Amino acid sequence: MKLRLLSSTPSVETLIATAMLTTTSGAAPSNLFHRLSANPGKVAEIVGRLEVQHGSILEHNRLNWVLEAGEGEVLKVLLENRFFTFTRLGSKEWLASANLRTVIEYAAEGGEFGGLILESIRERLPTVYAFGRRGA
Amino acid sequence: MKVELLSHTPSKELLLTLPVSELPVKAFISHLAFTFAIEGISRACSHQLVRHRVASFSQQSQRYIQVKRLQEHVVTPPTVADKAREGFESFIGEASDAYSELVARGVPREDARFVLPNASETSLLMTMDGGSLMHFFGLRLCSRAQWELRVVAEEMLRHVKAAELDLFEEAGPYCVQLGRCPEGRFSCGKMAEMRAKYRGD
Repeated sequence: MKLRLLSSTPSVETLIATAMLTTTSGAAPSNLFHRLSANPGKVAEIVGRLEVQHGSILEHNRLNWVLEAGEGEVLKVLLENRFFTFTRLGSKEWLASANLRTVIEYAAEGGEFGGLILESIRERLPTVYAFGRRGA
Repeated sequence: MKVELLSHTPSKELLLTLPVSELPVKAFISHLAFTFAIEGISRACSHQLVRHRVASFSQQSQRYIQVKRLQEHVVTPPTVADKAREGFESFIGEASDAYSELVARGVPREDARFVLPNASETSLLMTMDGGSLMHFFGLRLCSRAQWELRVVAEEMLRHVKAAELDLFEEAGPYCVQLGRCPEGRFSCGKMAEMRAKYRGD
């Protein structure tokens, strides 16, 4: 099984911070998003507090991977977690996508695919990766 | 009311990174997510919105956020404004007073909110994948959909068409998407009008 991260929603961590503050601050989400977009330090500080928040704030994004795997391996993932989406690209090649909540929760269950998807976000989303490592 | 598309996965970026595939771009629509800020809608409207379960929501919490000046933060339906504004505003004033009194007596906000009306304004962040958005448009752009959510859907459609016209050129109420009305005997009978509006036919 091989996995490669292709793309993700832009500004993922800013969206996570916006979601966190939307529920509790009373400010308009669009204002929060634009203010936070101009303040990466604040975003890092807020996202660093992930452990006290609901998992739903990790859902405002989507990541796309190319997966090399057999049908049986893909079926196993689908049976274990209904929030992954797959499209067949070739005989053993798939486009897979999910949001970060799915990534973190699936990785916490262990297994080869869980380990691969968590590692795939290490460079692009280091704060969320660290959160996932703590939970895994 | 305000609707803004805050972020989305650009289809071009995904297509450029994909290994060679003969599948059309629309085959990947469910792999693309769209995040909107939806602000100043009523709780009645947001309750309809969150029925779309294949979506993610982060909504202002009435447990954490105390409502202040309720009269300035309610949505008044046009029919109410037209036929019963005075009675409506009087009730909102009473609800506001009752809420403030409960909070003043030390009732937690999460319990004081029980007297707040469905007209109370709320704001939220919503994320849907492209496939779910097409379904959402099919239902909520229908002339029979709740008026406020239909306005939200119109705004969302305007934004996603500006961002990804190729993906959403066929978006519209289900009568436009399917070429037939799925509402049965409740059909508004305005299919041609709807096609003209959303497809320019």
